Amino acid sequence: MNNIITQGELFISALLGKKIFDAAGQKVGTVRDLAVLWDGVYPRVTGIKYAKGSQKIIGVSEIDTLDKKGLFLKNTFDKTMTKDLHEDELLVKKWLLDKQIVDIKGSKLVRVNDIQLSWLKRKDTFEIMLSAVDVGVRGLIRRILGYEPRIERLPLSLVGWQYLEPIRARTANLKLSEATDKFSKLHPADIAEIIEELDHYERPDFISTLDTQTAAEALGEVDLDTQVNIIEQLDSEHASRILVEMAPDEAADLLGELGREKSDELLKLMEPEEAEDVRELMEYPEHTAGALMTPEFIALDLNMTAQEAIDKIRATAHAAEMIYYLYVLDESEKLLGVLSLRELIMAQPSTPIREIMQERVITVLSGDDHRDVLETIVKYDLIAVPVADEKGRMLGIITVDDVLNTIVPDRKNLESFSYYMMRKAFGRR
Amino acid sequence: MRKPAIIKKVIFFLSILGPGVITANVDNDAGGITTYSVAGATFGYQMLWVFLPMVLALFVVQEMGVRMGAVTGKGLADLIREKYGVRLILFAMLGLILSSLGNTIAEFAGVAASMEIFNINRYISVPVSALAVWWLVVKGTYQRVEKIFLIASALYFSYVISGILAAPSWDVVLKETVTPHFEFDSQYLAMLIGLVGTTIAPWMQFYIQSAVVEKGITVKEYKLSRLDVIVGVIMVNIVAVFIVVACAATLHKNGISIETAKDAASALMPLAGRWAAEFFAFGLFNASLFAASILPLSTAYLICEALGFEAGVDKTWEEAPVFYWLYTFLVVAGAGIILLPGIPLIPIMLWSQVINGVLLPLVLVFMLDLINDRDLMGEHVNSRVFNLIAWTTTVIMIILTTLLVIFSIFPGLF
Repeated sequence: MNNIITQGELFISALLGKKIFDAAGQKVGTVRDLAVLWDGVYPRVTGIKYAKGSQKIIGVSEIDTLDKKGLFLKNTFDKTMTKDLHEDELLVKKWLLDKQIVDIKGSKLVRVNDIQLSWLKRKDTFEIMLSAVDVGVRGLIRRILGYEPRIERLPLSLVGWQYLEPIRARTANLKLSEATDKFSKLHPADIAEIIEELDHYERPDFISTLDTQTAAEALGEVDLDTQVNIIEQLDSEHASRILVEMAPDEAADLLGELGREKSDELLKLMEPEEAEDVRELMEYPEHTAGALMTPEFIALDLNMTAQEAIDKIRATAHAAEMIYYLYVLDESEKLLGVLSLRELIMAQPSTPIREIMQERVITVLSGDDHRDVLETIVKYDLIAVPVADEKGRMLGIITVDDVLNTIVPDRKNLESFSYYMMRKAFGRR
Repeated sequence: MRKPAIIKKVIFFLSILGPGVITANVDNDAGGITTYSVAGATFGYQMLWVFLPMVLALFVVQEMGVRMGAVTGKGLADLIREKYGVRLILFAMLGLILSSLGNTIAEFAGVAASMEIFNINRYISVPVSALAVWWLVVKGTYQRVEKIFLIASALYFSYVISGILAAPSWDVVLKETVTPHFEFDSQYLAMLIGLVGTTIAPWMQFYIQSAVVEKGITVKEYKLSRLDVIVGVIMVNIVAVFIVVACAATLHKNGISIETAKDAASALMPLAGRWAAEFFAFGLFNASLFAASILPLSTAYLICEALGFEAGVDKTWEEAPVFYWLYTFLVVAGAGIILLPGIPLIPIMLWSQVINGVLLPLVLVFMLDLINDRDLMGEHVNSRVFNLIAWTTTVIMIILTTLLVIFSIFPGLF
């Protein structure tokens, strides 16, 4: 008997109102509600509320059997087998049943018409979990009638509990988490398309569901008007965190579009170093090389060996926009030469950089028009071009996609299949 | 320096204005106007005192709806389902679908009757009106719809003009408004019950709360929303007073008895002039049309909230299909049924009255329970004094509505 495992599923509507008997056959009460602890994916039942008006529960370990006649306890009932509801515990009927389910945007979808319980009897103890939410008409009819409707054609529509996010407040709506996970796996450009399709007031909520890194990448892909619209609606704290994660040139463009007051406020909230970079970029007039460039490139020392250079790249590459071109600067940041990553790794580890680099470097000036920059990049077939000031000091680089964005600014009218697929997928298991 | 601050406040208040004024004004729908007209024609100024306590009752009940909407961000149907479960809300839902369909039919009857004063055939006026209210809600945004509803509320002042044109004796009007007047005459009592019993309807409570939620009013703006309710209930009662006055000064004085609002408008023509009659008829048209849009809207909100579907005038058809289909169905059914020849309007009205009477105690008692629930309302539960007033109002309303139901089913009882 000890090793037999019994398991099954039942709906809470069938359990509520069942009579509870103790080992002596005495009626203890009726099943008023279930207490659960939602600390994992599936909330587990911890006890049964058995009397009206009382906050006491009978622990789930006291249950012996459950059948049509009622619920039977292992021992003779006395007050010591009950305990108070813990503040972390939720009452299923009171706080979960009939709740509104919303999607990540907060749009209403359906209500919790019934809740499916999975139970497993291991050794002598019941383990009961909330496994799914019934959102269909079948669940609705079952609740009203009190038993399973005998209409074969009515399908059962269940949403597994793994798709729900734990609720923060007892009165809060139940939120679908399914879509949130899917979004973070999407390419930032796809997320950007979703953002552009949302109504302006829905965008901040959507951004809030993404982690800062993903949000920054996605924001970098949407058009400037949308970026401005979103940043204006987010609270400044959150906005500044996203701005820090964005490429400085993109952040500078975005801040340049905001009002003076707002952009100053955001810059103050950003980390000082990042803010300094962005502030410098904002000084340059629109459509100039200075406004397009990013100060995040990899600078090497003339006296390094190839091995030392590789070590430096390994340590700093995460912050750089592009690592295929490596620039050699002297103490006054004057550009001495350039080498490609390919040239670097093909060289012997002990070779000094000065022997690998090319001294003839194509540069543009910070005041050059963006069309000239494009021409330069196309003519010399570059991935990026360094930007220097009149004295030959290097300020930053402009990558080929930064320039491309100036001639193909918007990707409108592209079908965003991923978004539609996701909307359609809702509600199905 | 003080002036701009005041102007700012006024502008801010105007931005909050809406749910309260609109809901209160729909109280003066085709049925309401009929009742007031008959009351004025039959009893002259004797019923005017009723409107003062009515202001208080309406305020108390609607303020609770606004407060719940602002604090919880949920509609009344949402809250009832979440707290009391699915059976109760389905019962309320079925009842309200039936009663508001009945009322919508009556509103379109009002449209037809009022336009017949202007010699426009009902087979033209009713479909055109139905299309207009449908188009407004389906294609409009919440803001635009609300603006149009507010304009409709302002147009009720045509009754004030009509009342002034009827040239009443103002000193008597003023005296009767503040002097309670009882008569233990069966007809008088029946009229009294009819007058007050229709003041608070269940659908209004669902509508006002949903509108507050859709408008996005929160606890911060809620104090101004209370002013919105006050303006609404005072407005609606002033209009009602003027309807009674218009009929009392003319029809009652000349001993003309009427049965419908259309009768009233026609009878005003020889007594108070063409303008008074036309303002009266236009008021009826405006009121009917307005209510013919709000009633289906309120029902669509209610059903969607109860079942958990997306709802709102601001949503598109794709976002809230159930909401718009329900609205469409109710408008089409309401307008369609009135065009069927030989439709028995009086039994339809009677039954919606009965259903309302059954639902109202339920809705009011649940509202009082919900608003005193600290889990939901936090510090915004009713104060003790407010609870006393609210319970008194509720009990009186329940008694009057029950009497109205009994009286409607057994007209010869008194």
